[in-house]
Amino acid sequence: MGCASSVPDRNAGSLTGLNDGSTASDSKNLKVKLVLLGDSGVGKSCIVLRFVRGQFDPTSKVTVGASFLSQTIALPDSTTVKFEIWDTAGQERYAALAPLYYRGAAVAVVAYDITSSESFSKAKYWVKELQKHGSPDIVMALVGNKADLHENRVVSVEDAVEYAEKNGMFFIETSAKTADNINQLFEEIAKRLPRPSVVSV
Amino acid sequence: MNIDRASAVDDLPISPLTLEESSNDITSPSTVPSSNGSVPSGSHAEDVVENVKEDVVKDLSSVGGDDVLGENLERDGEVPVSPSSSGCDDARDEIEDVDTDSNHGAMTVNSAADGAPWVPGKRYHDEDDSSISWRKRRKHFFVLSNSGKPIYSRYGDEHKLAGFSATLQAIISFVENGGDHVKFVRAGKHQVVFLVKGPIYLVCISCTEDPYESLKGQLELIYGQVLLILTKSVNKCFEKNSKFDMTPLLGGTEDIFSSLIHAFGWNPATFLHAYTCLPLTYSSRQAVCSILQDVADSGVLFSILMCKHKVISLEGAQKTSLHPDDMLLLSNFVLASESFRTSESFSPICLPRYNPMGFLYAYVHFIDIDTYLVLLTTNSDAFYHLKDCRKRIESVLVKLNVLGEIQKSKLDGNLHVENLPNEFLLSGPLQKNSEVITGVGGPSGLWHFIYRSVYLDQYVSSEFSSPLKNSKQQKRLYRCYQNLYISMHDRETGPYRTQFKRDENYALLCWITQDFELYAAFDPLADKVSAIKTCNKVCHWIRNMEKEIFLLGANPFSW
Repeated sequence: MGCASSVPDRNAGSLTGLNDGSTASDSKNLKVKLVLLGDSGVGKSCIVLRFVRGQFDPTSKVTVGASFLSQTIALPDSTTVKFEIWDTAGQERYAALAPLYYRGAAVAVVAYDITSSESFSKAKYWVKELQKHGSPDIVMALVGNKADLHENRVVSVEDAVEYAEKNGMFFIETSAKTADNINQLFEEIAKRLPRPSVVSV
Repeated sequence: MNIDRASAVDDLPISPLTLEESSNDITSPSTVPSSNGSVPSGSHAEDVVENVKEDVVKDLSSVGGDDVLGENLERDGEVPVSPSSSGCDDARDEIEDVDTDSNHGAMTVNSAADGAPWVPGKRYHDEDDSSISWRKRRKHFFVLSNSGKPIYSRYGDEHKLAGFSATLQAIISFVENGGDHVKFVRAGKHQVVFLVKGPIYLVCISCTEDPYESLKGQLELIYGQVLLILTKSVNKCFEKNSKFDMTPLLGGTEDIFSSLIHAFGWNPATFLHAYTCLPLTYSSRQAVCSILQDVADSGVLFSILMCKHKVISLEGAQKTSLHPDDMLLLSNFVLASESFRTSESFSPICLPRYNPMGFLYAYVHFIDIDTYLVLLTTNSDAFYHLKDCRKRIESVLVKLNVLGEIQKSKLDGNLHVENLPNEFLLSGPLQKNSEVITGVGGPSGLWHFIYRSVYLDQYVSSEFSSPLKNSKQQKRLYRCYQNLYISMHDRETGPYRTQFKRDENYALLCWITQDFELYAAFDPLADKVSAIKTCNKVCHWIRNMEKEIFLLGANPFSW
């Protein structure tokens, strides 16, 4: 995996990492750090841009390092959740730097492309990595993207569900292209967040 | 081992010319060269030009180097070699290049006159060394490992070029086994230039007649771009596994390399080793400098505000310096990576001239479509601090309407030769010279110039005047400048102080002093004496405007 010496020392430095206080604020207004991981080309940036800006750009733009975006959603119980999203680069050379971005994250979204079994294996790699090095109470979601390309599907829903259940994740298939399940993904995450105190209403 | 390049050299007769250079501004008529080219009195003797070459177009119908005739009069009587007599007459290159590079220019060179903007990215993916079209490409760049594994190829599919890469590696090893190093091989009209950087080999195969030094410089920049992405510690991967495949590590970087290679044809920074600034009023630039300095003092290593490839302001923490080549590679990296435009980013990058072994962390944010801020730090946890810094900087830019000024400057462009003031025009014996050339461009048929300030490591380039409106012509001129630069800095025969060269495309004048280098292109029929006079005026003009066109003071380069 890439250049060993360029890896930031996992144990050095504070555990806060790129953290502005992971789960903060009051019980009505949550702020959470979310990291998006997965192989290059599975559509991580497209998922985020669909969620944050409602846009979809079919021309692929390789993410460099990691992009930072934020979006706030309101839940039916009148709480708001502000997601601070680290959209990481899927390229191999950045894999060693991932801890920089997932350290202290309250939520990890691990994405794969339903038409690529290789990307599904890569997703499993990230899940293991997070289990080893991520926050112990991290909320993890397994996302099968490009659901609109179901004719070319190679990763079955059953396999994904089984894997997700075994690892205590929640699973959803999305399409950044058609916007299918994108908002649902983030709403579902929001519901599963540990609340700082008892939720009213 | 040098495999000879004898065919590249034409011995051109040289004529002496004395060009007056005053160490100060030209303030009186007495410092302007007289019509016979002799040195006016009252100037500094040591500034007198030592060597001037003049090539005169004798017969436009003849071809190649044969159409050049000159007279030679040099102080020590030695005839300097022109490293490349061509470069200015390689129209064939431009023609054959059409399918690869022709539609560029508008995006970066403000030429706007021709076609669609150049789009980064690899062309001709499906080609390999068995394709005739691939073999016909005029300029190939390859990066490969010392075990012969392909890493990057400008054209074609790296994986299909494994055999070809192995051949290149074999040539290098063969010479190295003899205890020597291969620099280049000339085969017919092709030149193969090699650069060995530890386990990474870089090769250029070109029939563009660019001089060796220039192609080598381009390979050095490509290597620098590799380091910017991966750092030199990538070498360790080869130590662990000599058959290491580096291609996956460079995944998704094709646009960055294609954009750099494209820049070799339009961006003078690639051979001048200097950067250029966006013209801005002194007070605005100072305001930007002061907020960037503020930020730099808060633990940011470098704060850089740029518009496309032009610097608006640049500040560094104390006693740090940023090499112009690093600036070039960094801005190329940012501009060629589309994802930076989408949202703010935090990415590891390496500045090869600053520290080739380690990563810095770059906060990158596009303030508008072309204007972007890069904050560099050694602290991998600094993102939120840098984000706050960006907000502060942005609010200052908005408050002082600097962004509006940047837009205006972008539209106005750089200096226009047509605006070269005439107030220094002299009466008297020179009067007739000013009448010789009229028509397009600036005074005396000045079409274009580049002025490089030696101390500032900055250059300013004029806009192209109407005879140079299309990108093909611009590319050709840059190639001439590049050849001129190489020949002026030739370690064996130079360095020179001035050079005047004329061919069917231009009359080129280059003038180098301790303080600056001036490269000027004139109408091919321009009068030499009047061209010299115009160059003096250009220098005076630039010095009058230096507060607006250069970044002065508190300069990290001056350390």
